[in-house]
Amino acid sequence: MATVKVSEAEKVYILHGIRDDLRVDGRSCEDYRHMEVETDVVSNTDGSARVSLGHTAVLVGIKAEIGKPRPLVPDEGYLEFFVDCSANATPEFEGRGGEELGIELSNTLYRVFNNKNSIDLKGLCISAGEHCWVLYVDVLLLQCDGNLYDAISVAIKAALFNTKIPRVHMSSDDEGGKEVELSDDPFDCVRLSVENVPCIVTLCKVGHRHVVDATLQEKACSVASLIIAVTHRGTVTCVKKVGGGSLDPESIFEMTEAGKRVGKALHAPLMKLLQQEESLGKKREKVGFLG
Amino acid sequence: MLKSKTFVKKTRAGGVMKIVREHYLRDDIWCGSEACRECKQESTVLQADACIESNLCPYPHYVVPDTNVVLHQIDVLEDPVIRNVIILQTVLQEVRHRSAPVYKRLKDMIQAKEKLVYTFTNEHHRETYIEREQGESANDRNDRAIRVAVKWYSQHLKADGLKVVLLTDDQGNKEKAEENSLVVYKFDEYVKNLTANPELVDRLALSKDDKAEIISSKVLFPEHLPLSKIQSGIKSGTFLQGTFKASRDNYLEATVFVQGDGAESTEVLIQGLQNLNRAVHQDVVAVQLLPRNQWVSPSSVVLQDDGAAKDDDMDEDEEEKALRISAAEAAGKPTGKIVGIIKRNWRPFCGMLNVSQIKESTRHLFTPADRRIPRIRIETRQASTLVGQRIMVAIDGWPKNSRYPNGHFVRSLGSAGEKGTEEAVLLLEHDVPHQAFSQNVLSFLPKMPWGITPEDMVKRQDLRHLTVCSVDPPGCTDIDDALHCRELENGNLEVGVHIADVSHFIRPGNALDKEAANRGTTVYLCGKRIDMVPELLSSNLCSLRSNVERLAFSCIWEMNHNAEILKTQFTKSVINSKASLTYAEAQMRIDDTNKKDDITESLRGLNKLAKILKRKRIENGALTLSSLEVRFHIDSETHDPIDLQTKELMETNSMVEEFMLLANISVAQKIYDEFPDCALLRKHPAPPPSNYDILLKAAKSMNVEIHTDSAKALADSLDVAKVDGFSYFNTLLRILATRCMMQAVYFCSGMDSDFHHYGLASPIYTHFTSPIRRYADIIVHRLLAVAIGADITYPDLMDKHKQSALCNNLNYRHKMSQYAQRASVAFHTQLFFKSRGILNEEGFVLFVRKNAIIVLIPKFGLEGTVFFDSKDKAGPSLVFDEEGPTLKVEQTTFHIFDKVKVTISLDDSNIQHQKIRMALTEPVIPGVSVAAPDVEPQAKKPKVDH
Repeated sequence: MATVKVSEAEKVYILHGIRDDLRVDGRSCEDYRHMEVETDVVSNTDGSARVSLGHTAVLVGIKAEIGKPRPLVPDEGYLEFFVDCSANATPEFEGRGGEELGIELSNTLYRVFNNKNSIDLKGLCISAGEHCWVLYVDVLLLQCDGNLYDAISVAIKAALFNTKIPRVHMSSDDEGGKEVELSDDPFDCVRLSVENVPCIVTLCKVGHRHVVDATLQEKACSVASLIIAVTHRGTVTCVKKVGGGSLDPESIFEMTEAGKRVGKALHAPLMKLLQQEESLGKKREKVGFLG
Repeated sequence: MLKSKTFVKKTRAGGVMKIVREHYLRDDIWCGSEACRECKQESTVLQADACIESNLCPYPHYVVPDTNVVLHQIDVLEDPVIRNVIILQTVLQEVRHRSAPVYKRLKDMIQAKEKLVYTFTNEHHRETYIEREQGESANDRNDRAIRVAVKWYSQHLKADGLKVVLLTDDQGNKEKAEENSLVVYKFDEYVKNLTANPELVDRLALSKDDKAEIISSKVLFPEHLPLSKIQSGIKSGTFLQGTFKASRDNYLEATVFVQGDGAESTEVLIQGLQNLNRAVHQDVVAVQLLPRNQWVSPSSVVLQDDGAAKDDDMDEDEEEKALRISAAEAAGKPTGKIVGIIKRNWRPFCGMLNVSQIKESTRHLFTPADRRIPRIRIETRQASTLVGQRIMVAIDGWPKNSRYPNGHFVRSLGSAGEKGTEEAVLLLEHDVPHQAFSQNVLSFLPKMPWGITPEDMVKRQDLRHLTVCSVDPPGCTDIDDALHCRELENGNLEVGVHIADVSHFIRPGNALDKEAANRGTTVYLCGKRIDMVPELLSSNLCSLRSNVERLAFSCIWEMNHNAEILKTQFTKSVINSKASLTYAEAQMRIDDTNKKDDITESLRGLNKLAKILKRKRIENGALTLSSLEVRFHIDSETHDPIDLQTKELMETNSMVEEFMLLANISVAQKIYDEFPDCALLRKHPAPPPSNYDILLKAAKSMNVEIHTDSAKALADSLDVAKVDGFSYFNTLLRILATRCMMQAVYFCSGMDSDFHHYGLASPIYTHFTSPIRRYADIIVHRLLAVAIGADITYPDLMDKHKQSALCNNLNYRHKMSQYAQRASVAFHTQLFFKSRGILNEEGFVLFVRKNAIIVLIPKFGLEGTVFFDSKDKAGPSLVFDEEGPTLKVEQTTFHIFDKVKVTISLDDSNIQHQKIRMALTEPVIPGVSVAAPDVEPQAKKPKVDH
């Protein structure tokens, strides 16, 4: 993970600020930085979204391909994650520098998103045991300025919302041979329900308090953080502790409660924004990466 | 402006892929009209006063046909009367997607300057580009794109007083266009109102509404399955895919060749109108096999669909029944029915009109020259002028409730029976490309005056001092080989074969090369030659004429006096032939002991070696087979044949042949050693033993034994096969043996393992010696040139798959050219007999059939069939014995080789298929044979069997 050097004096300043619920950039402990979301940014994917959070920027593209269902769950499709830590984001990622982080991120994302409570995996199945849709979720880190998990999860949710899977049906003949048939109307496609897709809220323990959406400097002052996946109803679907330090049960409880609260509040405006963008259709002004 | 086009595609592996293409829109696409003042175009195509004599559109206008109009009415659109046409890019792309031949014709039309056709790239024009909308099918989108473009055009040209007329046959499209206040007409509506050109109406393809009124509502054929069902059926194995081959002799029977994996392929028999289900010869079809108990065997009955136009209620039932009874006798072959058509292979067909008996009727039946093609119903108002002419007709469709396919008149070739017309017909029917060479092709010819430059000399050996001469048939202008022979100081002989260096002039990949590769071979008809390469090359620059310097590719051997090769050398060279001789002239020089000049000495040397070579070859088991070739003496003014004689072979023929064989074998070995994967070779497979059955049976009937275990055994036993007092017997046997052989074919060495040439008894063979008239030789020249470092290579030459594809084309072209040649001979034979009246000639029975004997007349090299049964009256009693084979007619038994006498005359009762009629005069069989000449033979149904 990208690191910044923070001097002792700075640390104390940050710590004291947080204690008083006033962070360096003027936010309170449960505030996010300015967030931008734009969907349908990469035309050759089936769904894509770009999210920037402060100076953190991520791009998510989703490609739907036909594959074989996993043997244990023959009637479900599945998701695959790949996180590319581009050297654009930070020079440390150059060469194979970002590989470890990438694997860690994608494993976590897999745990958070690939379950039937988040996404209707059964709906991705085309014919049990034979064909299903596999959603390849590719995450590209464009810029790192802390709180990658949250930014990525919002981008994934937006991209899933934007995903259009071509409608197919199975044709079968008398001999029992089956074949995937494609509709010839490019507008004829299936949308995913993202209602239950969680967002990740990362809480950083700084001093005796915890903050959401920590900047790199705040991160440097923290010994441990808790990542919590929360649905729009406030259900926690996944909790994971990262970082070297320890957390006592009480603060875990507190942090979880805070995470639920923040997460719930995050979903509503996000969905509103996505729907608004969608309703504009072709009239929407594209911002893209240079905007 | 950038747009992107997105579409989803199914991949071959069964996946689904989203494809995004960038699509740029521009604002500098001009309208192409002369009248336009807005567009900043440099040159225009469309005229300002675009008028055509029409009741419907008397004002100046441009026409915009939609895709279906182009696809179906290209015959009318191609007419020079129709000018000032705008072809939209949308239409062009759709046509390209749906029919390659129509696309090619459309492109030709666009290129023709005088047609004034403008292609408007509406898909890239900023104001006419449209995106597909939700819920809109691809076709609807294209129709809308066409309407938008027409709308743009009409507004664009409004100020200039020009209108734009959309032509469409689609009712829905027409209505929508009218809503947008566009000028729109149906195509037939537009054409029918062209007052100055009523003949165009005939060429209209029938649109759907018209078809509906012609045909009765009765459904005659089962529905064809949709393509998706066919595909899944083929995948699962319920259906088989194959090429439909109609039977020449029986219109109710056909076979489907199903390509199996590898070399395995099966034939499925199809019988009966219902099972044939509207398939036409050469279509790619899907067949379903019938249950085994319904399998039948092909009938040997000849059935021709020659009744009057049948009114769709099928009275063929009886004919079909007859067919079944005869077929049920033997064990069945796999039999099936056609369930769907995968690809139609319709082309315009040559033939003649059968005028309807109902006066004033505009619908007539058309009988194609090729018996495998069904008759076609066409609509024409000029039937009276078309009678007696050879015409071309294209099929438009075959609805399930019509007995015949529907088509339309394309063009007339001229009066039937005239030489020019018949020649055109036989070239078209044999798919021989015979158009004049295009400008593009001719542009690759060397500039005249041509001479040998010093650069040419650098890489070439100068052999101008050698006494080279050529020996060819009389009147030959494309001389591709020349020879020399001289004694070396060490006592050995040096023999050179010099072949025209065509590959020097035809460079790989250019238009000239492609054209030659497509033509594959020069086609020789009686009195006419269709060149593979333009005349400048074939008869001048490449032709090794005497006393001019010519480039050659030489193969030079050093031999001892026993004709054993001591050294072989290949080189590009420059030669100067000292004499162009005919076979007869060369023979005379050799025989004339007084002549002692260089040329004669050289010829004698060659002749001596050739004899040794031939002996060796025959000892090795090469076959000397026989087929009668005839030569016509053509009247120099009328070009009609006035006499006919079988070709005579002289020693010099075989002398030239021997050295050509030797050169071919040497070259084959060399290129194969150098390029084991991509050498172009020629093989002649050994025939399967069953092919010899007829030969063995025939020989046995004369108490002669023939061995067919190997080529050598066959050659030897043919040599000793003699019957006292029957000198022609040996020739007849050899003719029969020729019929048992397989076809020799070109192949690519990397794709095959069997190289053997059976007839020549050579382990390897190729064609090197006639590059002027065979494309295979050009490739071999290139390979050899690369092998000796005289030329550079190119990728396609080393690609065995591309070479293999080329071989397939060459084999096809060779076969077709042979057929065309035979057809030309047959036609000239008919011309010859036309002027002769009835002749009485001696002949031999060559084959015995169930109801006929096939007779060979050695004098004319003519083969004909004498039928013993006839349709209209009870025939004589016929007993056919397959073992003999013999045929007993009343009391007389016919064997193979029996000497008979027949009358020969021309039967022109059917002008389309004129035939030589043969009738028996000796032996006399009461009620069957006819009295000697001057008596009109009775109604038999003889025909020429080619």
